[in-house]
Amino acid sequence: MDEKTRTAAGIATGLQGLVYDDRRLAEIAAEVEALNDAVRKAAADRLAFDDDPAAFASLLAREAK
Amino acid sequence: MTDDLALRDLSTVADAIADGRITSVQATEACLARIEVWQPRTNAFLRIHREKALEQARAMDKELAAGRRRGPLHGVPMAHKDMYYRKGEISTGGSEIRRNWVAPVTATVLQKLDAAGVVELGFLNMAEFAAGPTGHNVHHGHCRNPWAASRVTGGSSSGAGASVAARMVYGALGSDTGGSIRLPAAACGVVGMKATYGRVSRAGALARSWSLDHVGPLTRTIRDNARMLGILAGHDPDDSTTAARPVPDYEALLEGGSQGLKIGLSLPEGLVPVDARVGAAVQAAADTLGRLGARMTPAKMPDFTALYRAAEVIVKCEAAAMHRPWMEANAPYANQVRTRMEAGFFIPATQYIDALRLRAHFVREFLDVALDGVDAVLLPAIPFPIPTIAETDVEQQGGPATLSMVARFTGLTRPFNTLGLPALSVPCGFDGNGAPIGLQLVGRPFDEALLYRIGHAYQGATDFHERVPI
Repeated sequence: MDEKTRTAAGIATGLQGLVYDDRRLAEIAAEVEALNDAVRKAAADRLAFDDDPAAFASLLAREAK
Repeated sequence: MTDDLALRDLSTVADAIADGRITSVQATEACLARIEVWQPRTNAFLRIHREKALEQARAMDKELAAGRRRGPLHGVPMAHKDMYYRKGEISTGGSEIRRNWVAPVTATVLQKLDAAGVVELGFLNMAEFAAGPTGHNVHHGHCRNPWAASRVTGGSSSGAGASVAARMVYGALGSDTGGSIRLPAAACGVVGMKATYGRVSRAGALARSWSLDHVGPLTRTIRDNARMLGILAGHDPDDSTTAARPVPDYEALLEGGSQGLKIGLSLPEGLVPVDARVGAAVQAAADTLGRLGARMTPAKMPDFTALYRAAEVIVKCEAAAMHRPWMEANAPYANQVRTRMEAGFFIPATQYIDALRLRAHFVREFLDVALDGVDAVLLPAIPFPIPTIAETDVEQQGGPATLSMVARFTGLTRPFNTLGLPALSVPCGFDGNGAPIGLQLVGRPFDEALLYRIGHAYQGATDFHERVPI
């Protein structure tokens, strides 16, 4: 089991109370790594301290035709 | 005569009921006769309310005879995806888990359709918990495409697409988290509108992902769709995400034509390559709009990679949170439904929040790049010809090729859920297998009226929406 899979195993049992076999944990670890990396990079490129999730709805309203 | 009524469109039938040329009972009987023939071929319905529908139709006729017309949908038979709650009635969500679950409330959109005088023929097949783009359902049986029974309907609003296409109903409610209105609309050759996030209430609708879910209509024509959205749209105190802005009279705004409009055409080759046959059909639609006076120009599309991943983070986290009790209890999910949610338990909350914070930036980028100087963007709804049920059966087949094809289904639709922008699917051709091809029009926030206007002009010059599966 590699480090990322061990981390996933720790989250499953230690934080979420869920049980998965090693093969599935390895798959989940790879999937989560790809998603996290993509969001982290997009956030680093775009987000500032004051960005608020609610800005999405405000922008739709402001840009409405 | 009965079959002829079922083949007419919603607006024609509604207007004929209104001025007494036909009755709601006749229209309902015509749909029921059509269901008799097409339900065994499509499995579009999960429950058919024959007697109740006829009882409602008689009541609508009685009201009309007494001089009371509830509105522009008075007496029109419809059916809806089995995820719109009606108090005291079963609502399965396409699942085994809720096979016998009874809803404690009635969805706002059903209340609005009730108030408008719609007759309810029953509830429609769908992907389990609205999680799947193809129309497969291991618990209630796969839904089959009326144009080619071996092919998928698209999902998750599979029964809505199939029932409208097969002329079993005049209109249906679907829902769209990553394309689930537009995909079945495209695959079945009907019209589907995913309006702006906040335009239509989600209250009383089974959620897939609160932040990305959109409720909307599937119909045969743009006019029908505009009429339905006019009833469905508007602020709802039971859904705080709904917008307070007034609802336009979409139907009255249909006739503006496409003269003078500037439309960006996108046939992407990168992240989601478009099949040549689909590309040719959408190009032909662009040529038609050009002949109608629109100025067609190549669209400048942003890279959707990060946006697509952010959408996955949002849907997985929200779905995992709501499904946790059943997942912990090892409840009977299809494997692909369960496995698609599991990553949500492992994604840090900070990434989920950042994905939500990114949405405004993605919208800004799309408005500044793709919609800069254009009124709307035209692109395919599904980037490849409609595949068979067998070759997209991830439960039976699995394997990277199957999973890849299923994932690519939403490649051109999911971005507009993350962006919350209005997106309309319109039939624009048929592939070599006899299955429909759909185009997609995307516009500025709350600009549904313009998308309808373009779609209506297009349908005025083409007949794909008039063709009927046999």
